[in-house]
Amino acid sequence: MTTPAKKRKQQRLLLIIIALVLLSVVAALMMRAMEDGITFFISPTEIAENGKAVGERFRLGGLVEEGSVSSEENGLVILFNVTDTLNSTPVRYRDILPDLFREGQGVIAEGSLNADGVFIADKVLAKHDENYMPPEVMDILERAENYDENKDENN
Amino acid sequence: MHKYANPARFNRLANAILPWSFGVMAIAFAYGLYQALVASPPDYQQGETVRIMYIHVPSAWMSLAVYMVLASASFVSLVWRHPLADIAAKASAPVGATFTALALFTGSLWGKPMWGTYWEWDARMTSVLILLFLYFGYMALWRSIDDQQKAAKAAAILAIVGVINVPIIKFSVEWWNTIHQPASVMRMGGPTIDGSMLIPLFTMFIAFHAYFITLLLWRMKAELNERKIQIMKENEVLGQ
Amino acid sequence: MISALKTILSYELKLAWRQGSTGGMAVAFFLVTVALFPLGVGPEAKTLASIGGGVIWVAALLAALLSLERLIHSDLEDGFLDQLALSPWPLELVIFAKALGHWLVTGLPLVLATPLLGVMMQMQAHSIEVMFYSMLVGTPALSFIGSLGSGLTAMVKKGGLLIALLILPLYIPTLIFGVSAIDAASFNGDPVPHLMILAALSIGAVALTPFASAAAIRLALE
Repeated sequence: MTTPAKKRKQQRLLLIIIALVLLSVVAALMMRAMEDGITFFISPTEIAENGKAVGERFRLGGLVEEGSVSSEENGLVILFNVTDTLNSTPVRYRDILPDLFREGQGVIAEGSLNADGVFIADKVLAKHDENYMPPEVMDILERAENYDENKDENN
Repeated sequence: MHKYANPARFNRLANAILPWSFGVMAIAFAYGLYQALVASPPDYQQGETVRIMYIHVPSAWMSLAVYMVLASASFVSLVWRHPLADIAAKASAPVGATFTALALFTGSLWGKPMWGTYWEWDARMTSVLILLFLYFGYMALWRSIDDQQKAAKAAAILAIVGVINVPIIKFSVEWWNTIHQPASVMRMGGPTIDGSMLIPLFTMFIAFHAYFITLLLWRMKAELNERKIQIMKENEVLGQ
Repeated sequence: MISALKTILSYELKLAWRQGSTGGMAVAFFLVTVALFPLGVGPEAKTLASIGGGVIWVAALLAALLSLERLIHSDLEDGFLDQLALSPWPLELVIFAKALGHWLVTGLPLVLATPLLGVMMQMQAHSIEVMFYSMLVGTPALSFIGSLGSGLTAMVKKGGLLIALLILPLYIPTLIFGVSAIDAASFNGDPVPHLMILAALSIGAVALTPFASAAAIRLALE
């Protein structure tokens, strides 16, 4: 004979075990989802591989390609390429760029492709890296990098 | 631990700590703010705007740290029924909410020149906003239940459930591709901030912590006094 | 334990059927709220389609919230919970059954109504399909997290506004992944990872909230 209190305790223990099993299912699902990847933006390579319909809105993300920034109409329209080093997509943007917009830095643009495959952005967000340092240190680092590169070329 | 459940003993302990925490806070704020706003160098990319970091990063850190204090105190109060833990949890909520609001506000001021937007609904910002809402809910629950002991327990349950949110905030940056930069200070392989900026930032961290400890002790003392007055009033009514 | 579950569940369903209110009212609220948006935002198909998933999910959150206030409170008032607390069933099981009942009566009708609303919001067929799945997988989280809010506010007389303040922040991850699945579908992405996270949220809520909710209700019963 079991008393109601004892029975309730056993049942609660069973419920806790069920809950733990469910939590392991949760963990497994999360891991699977992370493996498949959830993305905030689409890279130029993904556009090259899967294609995007003209006029379909999406977020384009990548680095601003070195030496690709130019302007039209007295600087009102900015043209640049977004690259993920494998592929790049030309972007056209008619507005004020954020301060951190630099060549070689991360950027996210919102908009859609036109018929010529140019991404017409209506919003551009700069992504900044996790390095904080004074300008002098950056100069030193850059000089060191150039020195390394020169050395590599000489070898 | 129950030794300090005695309010008189707690008061003695608090009075012993308070001058120190207040002193550390005053010195650290004076030195840290001077360093942060005047003496430290501008950033190689962000220029003078980087100074917002010295307020933003410690407040963002404290918004989470205070929540962890709140949740731990809630846990202690639920499991060991320690009466001071209730008071500690209750006293830290408004302080934490203020840090969270400050982190959101300074973050948005920083975001405009740096990212080109005051607000972006990415994972990090969204989850800090949820943290602010959790603080609000926690305070509202305390206020709407008359029985202090029941209010303490109900609020503690909510706080512990809210803890699930904290890792989401901490790891959201790594989980999702977001616009927010990855952690700079607490990360594998050491900080990526130059020493001339790390020292003022570190000083501000100390100042914020000392500020929180000071405020928490003050608020706990005030809460204890308030309860004492409440009991005295009740006795007076009964005595008449 | 299964028989206990059956008993409470059938009680909940019978009650909902006889009162005929909660589920029907939640669906009506859901329909009316969503129908306000084309009137407020304008009937342009492109705009509606792009906000449709979000609007429908938000309306679903509010509809679920609407019916939560009474979930525990009324059972507390008429002494039913006191009796259940004396029964040999653990309170966690009772909460589980009640939350499941809430989902069957409120959540499931909302899920079934979504395709209709998707058409009203001018969404593409593929997006509507994904939205249906995201609602199906995500709404259990709403009922179970909601049972916690209902339990926490059981001893508060007018808990409606308080429930909203406590529960809506906890609903946000469900909302985000529910909508991001639909977004992924409409941007020709893969919605499956989003749906998996959504399912994880629901299963996590099913596993954990009955314990927290039962602890809260024990306070109210003291």
